Amino acid sequence: MRLFLSMLSGLALCIGSVQAQQEQFLQAQTAYDHGRYAEAALQYETLIEQGTANPEVHYNLANAYFKDRDLPKAVWHYRKAWYEMPRDPDLKANLHFALNAAGALDPTPSFANRILSTLSQSEWIITATSGYLLLLILLLLLPIKAARRMVLKLCLLPLGILTLSGLGWLQWNQLKANPEYVVVQAEATALFGPIAGSTAHFKMPIGALVRQRSNNGKGWIKVEYDHKQGWLKREYIALVSP
Amino acid sequence: MGMRNYVRRRLPVLGILLLASGSFAADVQMTIEPQIISLLDRAVLKVEFINTSGKALDLPQVDGLKLQYRGQSSETRMVNFKRTMKVVHTYLVTPSKVGDFSIGPVTAQFNGGTKELSVKLRVIKPKDDKEAQAISELLYSEISSDREAPHVHEPFGLTLKVFIRDTLQVDGSFAIRGGMPENGLDGDLQWDVVNHTREELNGSIFKVYTLKSTAKTLTSGTFTFQPQVQMNIVIPRQNRRSYGFDDPFFGDYFGRQETRPIVLDCNRLEVQVRAIPMIGRPESFTGGVGIFGFNVEVGPAEVKAGEPITVKMSVVGRGNLSQITPPQIEESHNYKLYDARIVASDNPNEVCFEQVLIPKSGSVSNIPAISFSYFNTTTTDFRTISQGPFPVHVAAMPQQMAQVIAPMPSTIQQETEILGWDIVYLKSAPKYWKNESDQLWHQKPLIRLFLALPLLLLIGVAGQTTRRNRMANNVALARRQKAPKAARKHIQQARQAIQKHNEGAFYEALWNALAGYFGHRLNLAPGEVSLPVVVGTFPEMRKDLETLFHTIEQRRYGIQSESDPTKAALKGLLKKLTKTLKACERIRV
Repeated sequence: MRLFLSMLSGLALCIGSVQAQQEQFLQAQTAYDHGRYAEAALQYETLIEQGTANPEVHYNLANAYFKDRDLPKAVWHYRKAWYEMPRDPDLKANLHFALNAAGALDPTPSFANRILSTLSQSEWIITATSGYLLLLILLLLLPIKAARRMVLKLCLLPLGILTLSGLGWLQWNQLKANPEYVVVQAEATALFGPIAGSTAHFKMPIGALVRQRSNNGKGWIKVEYDHKQGWLKREYIALVSP
Repeated sequence: MGMRNYVRRRLPVLGILLLASGSFAADVQMTIEPQIISLLDRAVLKVEFINTSGKALDLPQVDGLKLQYRGQSSETRMVNFKRTMKVVHTYLVTPSKVGDFSIGPVTAQFNGGTKELSVKLRVIKPKDDKEAQAISELLYSEISSDREAPHVHEPFGLTLKVFIRDTLQVDGSFAIRGGMPENGLDGDLQWDVVNHTREELNGSIFKVYTLKSTAKTLTSGTFTFQPQVQMNIVIPRQNRRSYGFDDPFFGDYFGRQETRPIVLDCNRLEVQVRAIPMIGRPESFTGGVGIFGFNVEVGPAEVKAGEPITVKMSVVGRGNLSQITPPQIEESHNYKLYDARIVASDNPNEVCFEQVLIPKSGSVSNIPAISFSYFNTTTTDFRTISQGPFPVHVAAMPQQMAQVIAPMPSTIQQETEILGWDIVYLKSAPKYWKNESDQLWHQKPLIRLFLALPLLLLIGVAGQTTRRNRMANNVALARRQKAPKAARKHIQQARQAIQKHNEGAFYEALWNALAGYFGHRLNLAPGEVSLPVVVGTFPEMRKDLETLFHTIEQRRYGIQSESDPTKAALKGLLKKLTKTLKACERIRV
């Protein structure tokens, strides 16, 4: 009886929490619809601070920031949402639009990276799991002598799925080694060397998305932007990816 | 007799007392050996704490002498029942000029009190060179730059000359240790010996080694170069002494000469590096600093729309070639421009870029002029070299043919998109709310267990199949596996026979157990199991096996023992058989 009651109270708490999230989300939407973008952004930020991890919240928050003319934060949240829903056309369009508005260039991944970015890291894990289970089922059929040849041929399919999933997972995991940043301060100029007073190499507009290539551990990060690499002080950029 | 024993007992005590009485006079002394040395020689300074202990002294710096602490040693001497104990701190004294020197006074503290210590040393001119007053007159180095005030990224040459008096012998190896700017240099300096001559300087003949290097800086400012060149001079052994294996200058111990490393004096070179000005910097400046030429080739000049045209750009000259980024080609709606790439060049003073563009229509009549701007370090201004425009003939694409479809460069998109576009509206509330604290599905232990189960199942099936196949193909192995089971069955029968007091059945069961076990174990036919065969395989069990085989066989064939065996004796025999078979089971065959 006690267990039932505790389960019941847990369920009630959960439903209450979901309702609170729902209400706050709708309030933020109302504020956005009435042009109160700063208020909408605040509501979405509160949701995120409370632990909400849905990419839709990041997307809407990015919209609110964009309307509030805070381009770096808009780009930051669009990109954060993109990690979870990389095929979403609205998100792609808005990120592209925000970058254009900032005068920044879109990231230009290679063909392989574009293909591997069609699924999120979580989706690649699901694909890999499916491939793994399929492979196991096929291997369990191996003792049937009559079907052995056919089963071995069919094993290539899950093996291919596993390989592709591994590459996809690795591609996302690269973001840990070479994370992405958004330029959050004006006059961000990449230098030829990681030292104050080094010659200026290229400039990046505020809101530009850059990728880390190396880090000297002394507050300087080698970033890549528009196929050029240069050293930038850490305070000019905000980390997007983990 | 009693007196003799008394003396014998007291003698060691007396000895100890005598020894103790001789260790009272504590003192400290400082000595140097030898007191006169030549400029190329060295002396050893010792601080001796006699019958006391003391720490190494912090000797004062003496101009013209280098004092190096070498370590501590101790010694105990016994002379006429008088014990003397010493703690010795050793210092190596290396002169750098001639003259009379005084080391100290320095205050030494020890158990007996304090004492002022000092020694004198005379350094005379070397025997081979009566002119030299200091080491720096025998060996020294000079550094110079070919540019007084280079610009950032501009390579400038450094020349290091090493002068060695002709009378000195060196082993010819150089090491440059420190003395270079710690920050701001683009990479480490690589020194090459480019020349080796003999020159007369101030009436003396010197061997002169010339080393050259090229430096580049990443920043502007003052860069100080004062390299510490270390080289080894070879000194004949009769001119100096060795101080044991721990002597850092210990050289050719068994030979007649040894090498001694010396750090040469060098002048201080300050290079003022100027920054590249921001004023007047052209748009087409791509980081080039130096003196360059620029050349562009475009080909093919006649293509159809959709076919690639390659633009080859090369920058030749002296400067920071590796840091030059590709010159920009003006973007246009009429052609698709791909990223430029660096192409390897055989010429170390050249950097080549290739960029492909694809005309989208026949309206393209030329590739616009390409400009390359760089900072000229000779004229100290920006120079721009333009090439082109390059006329091309692009044939229009016939209708229905494939076209190059590619996203337009973003700068062009910007011009067109901002008019009347807006971002896509908000997303609706998600169906399921996710929280940061939620564990991801693939991280849940239950899911991981579920995923691992089929794999374990598969491993189990694979193992079982492999085992079955091995058993089917290997009769000996299969029989080996059955051996314990076969013995167990007959041992059980033997137990039942004991309960029924059926002695004949008991011995028959025991024999069957032996024959069954060893028949399977050694893959023998039923009639082949015999004592010699079994003992031949298990020689370490010979005694037990012989007892078992003989006893069982005798009873089976009716040969009775002197008295009828009791129930306990039968049980004992059964136990012995069980124990022996278990021991055989543990033995690898």
